[in-house]
Amino acid sequence: MQNQFHILLLMIALPLMGAALVMLIARTGIEHVRRMVFTNVVLSFVLAMIMVLNYAPQLKDAQNQPHLTQMQSEFRWLGTVAPGGDIIGPDIRFAVGVDGISLWLVALTSLLMIPAVLVSWEAIQDRPAVFYALMLMLQAGLVGVFTAQDVILFYMFFEFTLIPLFFMIGVWGGHDRRWAARKFFIYTFAGSVLTFLGLLFIVLSHSWMADEALEAPQAAVAQGPQTGAAAARHQHMTFSIERLTREIPELVATSPASSAYWLRVSPWIFAALFAGFAIKVPLFPFHTWLPLAHVEAPTAGSVLLAGVLLKIGSYGFLRFALPLTPEACWIWFDVIAVLSVVGIIYGALLALAQDDIKKLVAYSSVSHMGFCMLGLFSLNAVGISGGLLQMLNHGLSTGALFAIVGMLYERYHTRDIEAFGGLTRKFPVMSFCLLVVVFSSIGLPGLNGFTGEVLSIMGMFSIHRGYAVFGLSGIIVGAWYLLWLVQRTFFGPLREPLAEGDRRNSTAHGGVVHAGGHAVIHDLNFREVCALAPLLVLFVVIGLFPQYFLNRMEPSVARIVRGLENRRPDGVHLSARPLADRTGVGRLARHGAAVGPSRPFPETASERTP
Amino acid sequence: MVNALICLIPLCPLIACLTTAVLGARVLRERSHWPTIAGCGLAAACSLALLVCVARSPEPHRYTATLYQWVKIDTVEAGAAGMAALPDEGDRPQSSVSYKSGPDLEISIALRADSLAATMLAMLTFVSTCVAVYSAGYMHGERGYWRFFAFVSLFVFSMIMLVLSANFLQLYMFWEAVGLCSYLLIGFWYEKPAAVAASKKAFLVNRIGDFGFAIGVFLIWTTFGTLTFDAVLSPQRIAQMNPGLITLICLCLFTGAIGKSAQFPLHVWLPDAMEGPTPVSALIHAATMVTAGVYMVARCTPLFRAAPDAQVFVAFIGGFTALLAALIALTQYDLKRVLAYSTVSQLGYMFLGLGAGSSLGTSGAMFHLVTHAFFKALLFLGAGSVMHAMGGVIDMREFGGLRRIMPQTFKTFLIGSLALAGLPPLSGFWSKDTILSAAWEAGHAETHLAATNAIEAAPAMQGAQTRANVAAESEQTATKIRLFGAEHATIYRLLFWMGSFTALLTAFYTFRAFFLTFYGPEKIPHEAGHHAHESPSVMCMPLWVLSIGAAFLGLALGHLTGFFDGYLEMTLPGEGLHHATNWFVVGLSTVVVFAGIGAAWFMYHEPNDLPARVVALAGPLARLSLNKFYLDQVFFFMFVLPLRAASQLSRFFDWFVIDGMGVGGVSRLPAWLFGKSARPMQNGMVQFYALSMTLATAVLLAALLWRQG
Repeated sequence: MQNQFHILLLMIALPLMGAALVMLIARTGIEHVRRMVFTNVVLSFVLAMIMVLNYAPQLKDAQNQPHLTQMQSEFRWLGTVAPGGDIIGPDIRFAVGVDGISLWLVALTSLLMIPAVLVSWEAIQDRPAVFYALMLMLQAGLVGVFTAQDVILFYMFFEFTLIPLFFMIGVWGGHDRRWAARKFFIYTFAGSVLTFLGLLFIVLSHSWMADEALEAPQAAVAQGPQTGAAAARHQHMTFSIERLTREIPELVATSPASSAYWLRVSPWIFAALFAGFAIKVPLFPFHTWLPLAHVEAPTAGSVLLAGVLLKIGSYGFLRFALPLTPEACWIWFDVIAVLSVVGIIYGALLALAQDDIKKLVAYSSVSHMGFCMLGLFSLNAVGISGGLLQMLNHGLSTGALFAIVGMLYERYHTRDIEAFGGLTRKFPVMSFCLLVVVFSSIGLPGLNGFTGEVLSIMGMFSIHRGYAVFGLSGIIVGAWYLLWLVQRTFFGPLREPLAEGDRRNSTAHGGVVHAGGHAVIHDLNFREVCALAPLLVLFVVIGLFPQYFLNRMEPSVARIVRGLENRRPDGVHLSARPLADRTGVGRLARHGAAVGPSRPFPETASERTP
Repeated sequence: MVNALICLIPLCPLIACLTTAVLGARVLRERSHWPTIAGCGLAAACSLALLVCVARSPEPHRYTATLYQWVKIDTVEAGAAGMAALPDEGDRPQSSVSYKSGPDLEISIALRADSLAATMLAMLTFVSTCVAVYSAGYMHGERGYWRFFAFVSLFVFSMIMLVLSANFLQLYMFWEAVGLCSYLLIGFWYEKPAAVAASKKAFLVNRIGDFGFAIGVFLIWTTFGTLTFDAVLSPQRIAQMNPGLITLICLCLFTGAIGKSAQFPLHVWLPDAMEGPTPVSALIHAATMVTAGVYMVARCTPLFRAAPDAQVFVAFIGGFTALLAALIALTQYDLKRVLAYSTVSQLGYMFLGLGAGSSLGTSGAMFHLVTHAFFKALLFLGAGSVMHAMGGVIDMREFGGLRRIMPQTFKTFLIGSLALAGLPPLSGFWSKDTILSAAWEAGHAETHLAATNAIEAAPAMQGAQTRANVAAESEQTATKIRLFGAEHATIYRLLFWMGSFTALLTAFYTFRAFFLTFYGPEKIPHEAGHHAHESPSVMCMPLWVLSIGAAFLGLALGHLTGFFDGYLEMTLPGEGLHHATNWFVVGLSTVVVFAGIGAAWFMYHEPNDLPARVVALAGPLARLSLNKFYLDQVFFFMFVLPLRAASQLSRFFDWFVIDGMGVGGVSRLPAWLFGKSARPMQNGMVQFYALSMTLATAVLLAALLWRQG
């Protein structure tokens, strides 16, 4: 179904054109640049709203099957065209589209660009045109990641997002910016190379299995003409995510040989995918690049990094690992759940120990993304919806939190918690915004954080109580470090660090500064309020009416859950059974043993490997 | 019609809150109290109307108004998409049998009013109105006057929603929301470090309780597959469930109540919460929010009835907390803290009643909740009036003999004290007497034991494995209860005597505070200046209104008339509430009250050396009481310090092990591995290069030849 309007292409192209334009008008002065970028970002947001409003979750196609991926645009991109017009061999396409999983993430990206531009307004004075151009390129890349419907395209955007951020951190960052940028780039890149291998292996395996099905007439006959016809399409190697997610489970379900083969390889594929995505999330032992990158990044970089970039990891799990390797998800269930739980508690403890506000927020990200992963890997509808919502919420809350920290930094040029105290007296509006954001992060009902967390935990609780309970204990420490932060910086008697201007004055006047002598420092101005207001409003909307958001996710989530359920090792509640059974290892091994010898599929596969 | 009424009750304070929040700072300013007073007053009128409506409603005596669907996620059924299951499944049901990955989740925001909720609401909105009026005088001229009233009306709204909740998740949501209001109001004077620390402590300690509560809610969801009260709280449904699981659910829910209602060991936040403005202490930390736990346990009565072990636990925690808090209150010098510990103690009584396992106990607990709200709010507002006149000083050693300076406060405080002490016929007497009677009956009835045995004998529902779990779980609970080496009845007998002794202490500490404040030589701290005076009438009027309730509510609603029991019976059907007055219990409590007041009179009505001699006699005990049994310190060293240490340790661990050795090590590995091995090869000796080239070519050629051959 081609979309005449090509709205998604427009959403990718608009920021790219904006970036080019910004570079062209760079000489005309910072004011023009900022206004132009802001206009561009707002236009993108309008497009995103149109996209959200046009998305119809209950749409059915001609066969009355749910039509989930909408607003598609597809073009042939790479591939050898045979004389008949068909493509032989790899068929790589420039295909984009949104479904219930990517819809809100695209919207989130477009929304967060607005505060990201507004907080950079005064903060970026050095080569602003380049900075904004990079930011717009990052936006294009992020929209591309979430909408790509082709494996190669996805990977291209996936890596592309690293480049603008690398420069944003490395050029406009703090003191240690180069080291942070390098670590960020190499760490995430190293993981994603493995992910790419995993993705390629999925494509290759699909093509092998499809050929196998084609060559096994008994299977084709047994399954009727429809499957045969489907298999006939496999003359070429598809990279379409949509087709892979539809056909691999079909192939695995219909052919015992494929089933055995897939059982054997999918845990390894999962491991390869895990390498890149877990670093991006970041899951527990792979998180150390994050605080460094956050502390050194400029505010807009932090907002986008925490708000959107981390979601690529969890999105990757949801887009590839859960639908394509469901067996492996059941096998890896315990590992991921344990890492998530450790991440929740460990991240919270680390946040408790920080003296730097930004570092505290960065570690809180580790903790909150743990909730998200816990939800996704509960492998049921409630948990996955919760995890998806938690992605959105974390993007909004942590984005807002970083924006506020940036505003504070802009005023005092320090982020040392000990340097502040009682700021509420001086900045009542900022204090109000911070409190709302903090309570959203803590997971106070009525605000967005609660919805995501409670659904994630409930999802996990229904499948494994232990992990859920340990994860839930994170809400106690989570409240502790954030409220303690507020207590130390915004409550109590007023205490301010020397601002830049004062420091200069103080040296001029013999180093004496009078308390409260910051005539130049004001509460949030109109621009800053505008940056935070849409986020705060969304907190309340998601908190009070989450069903609007869940409705649009629901069919896509249901499809993933159905796939997972079909490959579930056993129908009984996991927590009610002994460990070996629960992990699915025993069950799958038995299954593999039963099928394996009858048709040694991997040998066939290796024959086909050139 | 009634549904509109139900919706109107929370709507009034919500509108008041929004109005104050939007207009307060710029437009309303010194008039910011009007929306709150109007909102609460209107809500109170509606609540009184609701009381009548519920009584006249047809069976089953409840109204539900669904507002909207908050979340609805259906479980996906496998096999529904036309995909076959694995083809060669021998030991698994075929795809025709679909199974669910978990229960459905459907949460609606709804308002559900029954007699229990209506009672709570009437009390809540009435006391709120009194406190709002009082605050207009008390908070006059404060910075952030409008902010105070915005928070108060937000609290009233949240509390009303909590009471009107129709399902457990909604209850949990507003449970946390009232916690937020409490946090905001304790920390109202945000520049006062003690207030800010207290607000954080209150929120965090409550979070610990909420943690347990949330687990309880999740357990209910996985066990019952739904969270609505109507579905979960039906005795028939509960009877089909695994009793061990029900016990576990009850204990988890009770953990929440322990936090919110400040029971041992999570009571430590409530005395600190007195750092907030006094009207807040009266409204939130005495009359309403802290009773949310009691309300929740009363609401879950059907669950607790099915779990006698949990019930004994509730009663024991209640009785123990009552005694502990009363012992601490004996020696405190801060008037508000005496009242705070007294609140903890009285809440303990309520849990004792709830845990007694009879309708008498539950209705007694709710009755005590209502009467306590009146006399404790009265006492707090009286203390606030004293504090107002004394220039913010609340230490009883700094002032004294105020009865002539503040005659109205003196009289109303006397009424409140007598009600709290439980002097017949004031309201505190009747409700406390009901609870003690319930404890007495539980201790002397054989039926309770029988019920316990019946549960143990009940057939387990879900197969051998779960039966084993049940056994393990109930064994665990049982050992917890039998730690004291006693059967349930023995524990109840012990609790009865503890309760009676607490009544003695209550009378004593209440009148100690009363005499120290209003009797003896006139003493005014210098903070008060020369204008120590009676509070304005806007503050005295609510005092009189509340003292009417404190005086006569017990007589009017108590079990002499049977009005209260009869009303609650619509929600909590009992096995016949009309019980004969237990004259032994009545006599005992009366004697005990007079003894307590008399002792206080001897020691404190004028300065003498008696208290000092008693303290010297009690020695370490008095020190323990004065230092609150060192519980704050114990918790600091048991929880706060280890957690801080763990956080510092993980900071080091993260820096040194994960980032340093792990990531750093891996990143240095390639350089070390390949660099070390490859570096010697590039040594600059041409001969070496030539040799290796020749050798390599030879090896290659050999390999080729060998393969060809």
